Amino acid sequence: MNKLLTLAATAFLLVGCGTPASYKDSNGRDVVVSLEKIDIQDFATAGSTMLQSMVNAPAFQKAGAAPVLQVGNVLNDTGSNFDTSLLLMKITAPLVNAGRVRLLESDPAAVAARKATPGAAVPVAEFVLKGKILEVRSNAGSTRQASYEFQLTLIDVRSSLAVWQDTKIVTKQGSKNSVGF
Amino acid sequence: MKKLLPLLALGLFAGCTSLVSTADRLERGLTPPDAVNYVTTKADGTFETQINDQRIAGKLALLGARKSKTPAGFAQVQFELRNDSLLGRTINVSFEWLSADGRVTETQPNWVVTPLEPGAIALVNATALKAESAECRLRLLSR
Repeated sequence: MNKLLTLAATAFLLVGCGTPASYKDSNGRDVVVSLEKIDIQDFATAGSTMLQSMVNAPAFQKAGAAPVLQVGNVLNDTGSNFDTSLLLMKITAPLVNAGRVRLLESDPAAVAARKATPGAAVPVAEFVLKGKILEVRSNAGSTRQASYEFQLTLIDVRSSLAVWQDTKIVTKQGSKNSVGF
Repeated sequence: MKKLLPLLALGLFAGCTSLVSTADRLERGLTPPDAVNYVTTKADGTFETQINDQRIAGKLALLGARKSKTPAGFAQVQFELRNDSLLGRTINVSFEWLSADGRVTETQPNWVVTPLEPGAIALVNATALKAESAECRLRLLSR
Protein backbone atom coordinates (compact mmCIF):
# COMPACT_ATOMS: atom_id res chain seq x y z
CA MET A 1 0.00 0.00 0.00
CA ASN A 2 2.80 2.32 1.00
CA LYS A 3 4.64 1.57 -2.23
CA LEU A 4 1.58 2.39 -4.27
CA LEU A 5 1.14 5.70 -2.46
CA THR A 6 4.80 6.56 -2.94
CA LEU A 7 4.61 5.77 -6.63
CA ALA A 8 1.45 7.86 -7.03
CA ALA A 9 3.04 10.77 -5.15
CA THR A 10 6.19 10.57 -7.30
CA ALA A 11 4.13 10.48 -10.49
CA PHE A 12 2.16 13.51 -9.27
CA LEU A 13 5.39 15.34 -8.56
CA LEU A 14 6.82 14.60 -11.99
CA VAL A 15 3.65 15.58 -13.82
CA GLY A 16 2.75 18.56 -11.67
CA CYS A 17 6.14 20.30 -11.46
CA GLY A 18 6.79 21.19 -15.09
CA THR A 19 5.53 24.42 -16.58
CA PRO A 20 4.02 23.81 -20.00
CA ALA A 21 5.25 26.08 -22.78
CA SER A 22 2.97 29.00 -23.52
CA TYR A 23 3.06 32.19 -25.58
CA LYS A 24 3.99 35.40 -23.81
CA ASP A 25 3.89 39.04 -24.76
CA SER A 26 7.50 39.81 -25.79
CA ASN A 27 7.07 43.26 -24.30
CA GLY A 28 5.28 42.02 -21.19
CA ARG A 29 6.59 41.44 -17.70
CA ASP A 30 6.54 37.65 -17.75
CA VAL A 31 9.50 37.03 -20.02
CA VAL A 32 12.61 35.13 -18.94
CA VAL A 33 15.42 37.18 -17.39
CA SER A 34 18.77 35.49 -18.09
CA LEU A 35 22.05 36.16 -16.35
CA GLU A 36 24.31 34.59 -18.96
CA LYS A 37 23.07 36.37 -22.07
CA ILE A 38 21.23 39.39 -23.43
CA ASP A 39 17.48 38.86 -23.49
CA ILE A 40 15.02 40.11 -26.08
CA GLN A 41 13.74 42.75 -23.65
CA ASP A 42 17.29 44.06 -23.12
CA PHE A 43 17.63 44.78 -26.84
CA ALA A 44 14.21 46.47 -26.77
CA THR A 45 15.13 48.62 -23.76
CA ALA A 46 18.49 49.65 -25.19
CA GLY A 47 17.07 50.26 -28.65
CA SER A 48 14.11 52.36 -27.58
CA THR A 49 16.17 54.41 -25.12
CA MET A 50 18.90 55.11 -27.68
CA LEU A 51 16.37 55.90 -30.40
CA GLN A 52 14.89 58.61 -28.19
CA SER A 53 18.36 59.93 -27.46
CA MET A 54 19.33 59.99 -31.14
CA VAL A 55 16.25 61.84 -32.38
CA ASN A 56 16.96 64.52 -29.78
CA ALA A 57 20.53 65.04 -30.99
CA PRO A 58 20.92 68.55 -32.43
CA ALA A 59 22.69 67.24 -35.54
CA PHE A 60 19.87 64.84 -36.27
CA GLN A 61 17.23 67.51 -35.69
CA LYS A 62 19.06 69.94 -38.01
CA ALA A 63 19.31 67.35 -40.79
CA GLY A 64 16.87 67.53 -43.64
CA ALA A 65 13.38 66.06 -43.67
CA ALA A 66 14.58 62.49 -44.24
CA PRO A 67 18.37 62.16 -44.25
CA VAL A 68 19.96 59.08 -45.78
CA LEU A 69 21.23 56.74 -43.08
CA GLN A 70 23.56 53.82 -43.55
CA VAL A 71 24.07 51.17 -40.93
CA GLY A 72 27.73 50.44 -40.23
CA ASN A 73 29.31 47.74 -38.13
CA VAL A 74 28.01 46.92 -34.69
CA LEU A 75 30.63 44.80 -32.98
CA ASN A 76 29.45 42.08 -30.64
CA ASP A 77 32.15 41.98 -27.97
CA THR A 78 30.20 39.76 -25.58
CA GLY A 79 30.57 36.09 -24.84
CA SER A 80 27.30 35.12 -26.50
CA ASN A 81 26.42 34.86 -30.13
CA PHE A 82 23.54 36.96 -31.49
CA ASP A 83 22.63 39.03 -34.50
CA THR A 84 23.20 42.73 -33.86
CA SER A 85 20.16 43.57 -35.98
CA LEU A 86 18.21 42.70 -32.83
CA LEU A 87 19.38 46.09 -31.58
CA LEU A 88 19.61 48.04 -34.83
CA MET A 89 16.11 47.19 -36.00
CA LYS A 90 14.69 48.73 -32.82
CA ILE A 91 16.23 52.00 -33.94
CA THR A 92 15.97 51.97 -37.71
CA ALA A 93 12.49 50.45 -38.11
CA PRO A 94 10.58 53.23 -36.26
CA LEU A 95 12.64 55.89 -38.08
CA VAL A 96 12.06 54.39 -41.53
CA ASN A 97 8.38 53.72 -40.89
CA ALA A 98 7.83 57.28 -39.69
CA GLY A 99 9.63 58.64 -42.76
CA ARG A 100 12.31 60.26 -40.62
CA VAL A 101 15.24 58.62 -42.44
CA ARG A 102 15.88 56.87 -45.73
CA LEU A 103 17.85 53.74 -45.07
CA LEU A 104 20.62 52.99 -47.54
CA GLU A 105 20.89 49.26 -47.98
CA SER A 106 24.49 48.07 -48.00
CA ASP A 107 24.08 44.35 -48.61
CA PRO A 108 25.72 42.87 -51.75
CA ALA A 109 22.41 42.77 -53.65
CA ALA A 110 21.79 46.48 -53.10
CA VAL A 111 25.39 47.38 -54.08
CA ALA A 112 25.10 45.26 -57.26
CA ALA A 113 21.79 46.93 -58.13
CA ARG A 114 23.38 50.38 -57.79
CA LYS A 115 26.32 49.36 -60.01
CA ALA A 116 23.91 47.95 -62.60
CA THR A 117 22.16 51.31 -62.98
CA PRO A 118 25.05 53.77 -63.47
CA GLY A 119 22.83 56.60 -64.70
CA ALA A 120 20.41 56.42 -61.80
CA ALA A 121 20.48 59.01 -59.07
CA VAL A 122 21.82 56.93 -56.21
CA PRO A 123 21.41 58.48 -52.80
CA VAL A 124 24.56 59.01 -50.79
CA ALA A 125 24.65 58.32 -47.08
CA GLU A 126 24.56 61.45 -44.92
CA PHE A 127 24.86 59.58 -41.63
CA VAL A 128 26.39 56.26 -40.63
CA LEU A 129 25.33 54.49 -37.46
CA LYS A 130 27.87 52.18 -35.85
CA GLY A 131 28.46 50.72 -32.44
CA LYS A 132 29.65 48.09 -30.06
CA ILE A 133 28.10 45.83 -27.43
CA LEU A 134 30.26 44.97 -24.41
CA GLU A 135 29.88 42.69 -21.45
CA VAL A 136 31.19 43.00 -17.89
CA ARG A 137 30.66 40.19 -15.39
CA SER A 138 31.23 39.99 -11.65
CA ASN A 139 30.03 37.93 -8.74
CA ALA A 140 29.88 37.95 -4.95
CA GLY A 141 29.33 34.51 -3.46
CA SER A 142 26.46 32.92 -5.31
CA THR A 143 25.19 36.27 -6.61
CA ARG A 144 26.13 36.84 -10.23
CA GLN A 145 25.96 40.15 -12.05
CA ALA A 146 26.07 40.76 -15.78
CA SER A 147 26.23 44.22 -17.30
CA TYR A 148 25.82 44.78 -21.01
CA GLU A 149 26.87 48.12 -22.44
CA PHE A 150 25.36 49.18 -25.74
CA GLN A 151 27.40 51.90 -27.46
CA LEU A 152 26.24 53.71 -30.57
CA THR A 153 27.78 56.52 -32.60
CA LEU A 154 26.21 58.57 -35.38
CA ILE A 155 28.76 59.90 -37.86
CA ASP A 156 28.17 62.80 -40.22
CA VAL A 157 29.66 61.50 -43.48
CA ARG A 158 30.49 64.96 -44.86
CA SER A 159 32.72 65.84 -41.94
CA SER A 160 33.55 62.33 -40.64
CA LEU A 161 32.74 63.70 -37.22
CA ALA A 162 30.74 61.88 -34.58
CA VAL A 163 27.64 64.02 -34.06
CA TRP A 164 25.92 61.81 -31.51
CA GLN A 165 27.06 59.14 -29.10
CA ASP A 166 25.24 57.33 -26.37
CA THR A 167 25.60 54.32 -24.13
CA LYS A 168 22.95 52.30 -22.39
CA ILE A 169 23.94 49.83 -19.69
CA VAL A 170 21.63 46.99 -18.76
CA THR A 171 22.60 45.28 -15.50
CA LYS A 172 21.09 42.04 -14.26
CA GLN A 173 21.84 40.45 -10.89
CA GLY A 174 20.83 37.22 -9.19
CA SER A 175 21.83 33.64 -8.54
CA LYS A 176 19.78 32.07 -11.32
CA ASN A 177 17.57 32.96 -14.24
CA SER A 178 14.01 33.96 -13.46
CA VAL A 179 10.68 34.64 -15.07
CA GLY A 180 9.36 38.18 -15.01
CA PHE A 181 10.71 41.42 -13.60
CA MET B 1 3.40 6.88 5.27
CA LYS B 2 3.32 9.66 7.84
CA LYS B 3 7.09 9.76 7.70
CA LEU B 4 6.98 10.18 3.94
CA LEU B 5 4.79 13.27 3.96
CA PRO B 6 7.38 15.73 5.33
CA LEU B 7 9.87 14.36 2.82
CA LEU B 8 7.41 14.86 -0.03
CA ALA B 9 6.67 18.39 1.14
CA LEU B 10 10.38 19.11 1.35
CA GLY B 11 10.83 17.75 -2.16
CA LEU B 12 8.07 20.00 -3.40
CA PHE B 13 9.67 23.15 -2.05
CA ALA B 14 13.30 22.28 -2.60
CA GLY B 15 13.21 20.55 -5.93
CA CYS B 16 10.31 22.14 -7.72
CA THR B 17 11.21 25.80 -8.06
CA SER B 18 8.75 26.36 -10.90
CA LEU B 19 5.92 25.66 -8.46
CA VAL B 20 7.06 28.50 -6.24
CA SER B 21 7.43 30.93 -9.15
CA THR B 22 4.03 29.88 -10.51
CA ALA B 23 2.48 30.58 -7.12
CA ASP B 24 4.25 33.94 -7.08
CA ARG B 25 2.87 34.81 -10.50
CA LEU B 26 -0.59 33.62 -9.49
CA GLU B 27 -0.55 35.79 -6.40
CA ARG B 28 0.70 38.75 -8.39
CA GLY B 29 -1.97 38.25 -11.02
CA LEU B 30 -4.73 37.94 -8.45
CA THR B 31 -3.73 41.02 -6.49
CA PRO B 32 -6.17 43.71 -7.56
CA PRO B 33 -3.82 46.74 -7.41
CA ASP B 34 -1.28 45.12 -9.75
CA ALA B 35 -2.25 47.26 -12.68
CA VAL B 36 -0.96 49.71 -15.27
CA ASN B 37 -1.30 53.42 -14.52
CA TYR B 38 -1.46 56.23 -17.05
CA VAL B 39 -0.56 59.89 -17.38
CA THR B 40 -1.83 61.55 -20.54
CA THR B 41 -1.00 65.05 -21.68
CA LYS B 42 -3.85 67.24 -22.89
CA ALA B 43 -4.07 69.85 -25.60
CA ASP B 44 -4.55 72.66 -23.04
CA GLY B 45 -1.12 71.96 -21.52
CA THR B 46 -2.41 70.07 -18.48
CA PHE B 47 -2.29 66.33 -17.92
CA GLU B 48 -4.64 63.64 -16.76
CA THR B 49 -3.69 60.78 -14.43
CA GLN B 50 -5.34 57.40 -14.11
CA ILE B 51 -4.08 55.46 -11.08
CA ASN B 52 -5.17 51.83 -11.10
CA ASP B 53 -2.58 50.53 -8.64
CA GLN B 54 -3.27 51.89 -5.18
CA ARG B 55 0.17 50.77 -3.96
CA ILE B 56 1.74 53.71 -5.74
CA ALA B 57 -1.01 56.22 -5.00
CA GLY B 58 0.53 58.87 -2.76
CA LYS B 59 3.95 57.24 -3.05
CA LEU B 60 4.86 58.24 -6.56
CA ALA B 61 4.46 61.94 -7.31
CA LEU B 62 4.19 63.31 -10.82
CA LEU B 63 5.89 66.69 -10.55
CA GLY B 64 5.30 67.74 -14.12
CA ALA B 65 4.51 66.80 -17.69
CA ARG B 66 6.15 69.43 -19.88
CA LYS B 67 5.21 69.50 -23.52
CA SER B 68 7.17 71.28 -26.22
CA LYS B 69 8.16 71.03 -29.89
CA THR B 70 11.48 70.14 -31.46
CA PRO B 71 12.97 72.65 -33.96
CA ALA B 72 11.55 70.44 -36.73
CA GLY B 73 8.08 70.66 -35.19
CA PHE B 74 7.75 67.22 -33.56
CA ALA B 75 6.08 66.99 -30.17
CA GLN B 76 8.18 66.13 -27.17
CA VAL B 77 7.27 65.58 -23.54
CA GLN B 78 9.25 65.36 -20.34
CA PHE B 79 7.61 63.64 -17.37
CA GLU B 80 9.14 64.23 -13.94
CA LEU B 81 8.50 61.55 -11.33
CA ARG B 82 9.52 61.45 -7.66
CA ASN B 83 9.50 58.54 -5.25
CA ASP B 84 7.75 59.95 -2.17
CA SER B 85 7.84 56.70 -0.21
CA LEU B 86 10.45 55.73 2.38
CA LEU B 87 11.46 52.67 0.42
CA GLY B 88 13.26 52.20 -2.86
CA ARG B 89 10.83 51.46 -5.65
CA THR B 90 11.13 50.19 -9.18
CA ILE B 91 8.83 51.74 -11.71
CA ASN B 92 8.57 50.41 -15.24
CA VAL B 93 7.71 52.99 -17.85
CA SER B 94 6.65 52.95 -21.48
CA PHE B 95 4.65 55.37 -23.58
CA GLU B 96 2.57 55.86 -26.66
CA TRP B 97 1.73 58.86 -28.79
CA LEU B 98 -1.77 59.92 -29.74
CA SER B 99 -2.98 62.09 -32.59
CA ALA B 100 -5.20 65.10 -31.93
CA ASP B 101 -8.28 62.92 -32.51
CA GLY B 102 -7.09 60.29 -30.02
CA ARG B 103 -5.70 57.62 -32.35
CA VAL B 104 -2.55 55.84 -31.24
CA THR B 105 0.10 56.86 -33.75
CA GLU B 106 3.29 55.53 -32.19
CA THR B 107 4.11 53.21 -29.39
CA GLN B 108 7.10 52.20 -27.35
CA PRO B 109 5.66 48.96 -25.99
CA ASN B 110 8.61 47.63 -24.00
CA TRP B 111 8.91 48.48 -20.32
CA VAL B 112 11.98 50.45 -19.32
CA VAL B 113 12.94 49.47 -15.77
CA THR B 114 13.49 52.61 -13.67
CA PRO B 115 14.74 52.05 -10.09
CA LEU B 116 13.98 54.97 -7.79
CA GLU B 117 15.65 55.50 -4.42
CA PRO B 118 13.53 57.20 -1.74
CA GLY B 119 13.10 60.83 -2.71
CA ALA B 120 14.76 60.31 -6.09
CA ILE B 121 13.52 62.11 -9.16
CA ALA B 122 13.42 60.42 -12.56
CA LEU B 123 12.87 62.08 -15.91
CA VAL B 124 11.15 60.28 -18.76
CA ASN B 125 11.69 61.97 -22.10
CA ALA B 126 9.67 61.12 -25.16
CA THR B 127 9.99 62.63 -28.62
CA ALA B 128 7.47 61.87 -31.34
CA LEU B 129 8.69 60.56 -34.68
CA LYS B 130 5.55 61.46 -36.60
CA ALA B 131 4.21 64.96 -37.16
CA GLU B 132 0.62 63.85 -36.41
CA SER B 133 1.57 62.75 -32.88
CA ALA B 134 0.23 65.40 -30.53
CA GLU B 135 -0.31 63.97 -27.04
CA CYS B 136 1.71 61.47 -25.04
CA ARG B 137 0.36 58.74 -22.78
CA LEU B 138 2.89 57.53 -20.22
CA ARG B 139 2.33 54.04 -18.88
CA LEU B 140 3.60 53.20 -15.39
CA LEU B 141 3.81 49.78 -13.80
CA SER B 142 5.05 49.23 -10.27
CA ARG B 143 7.19 46.17 -9.76
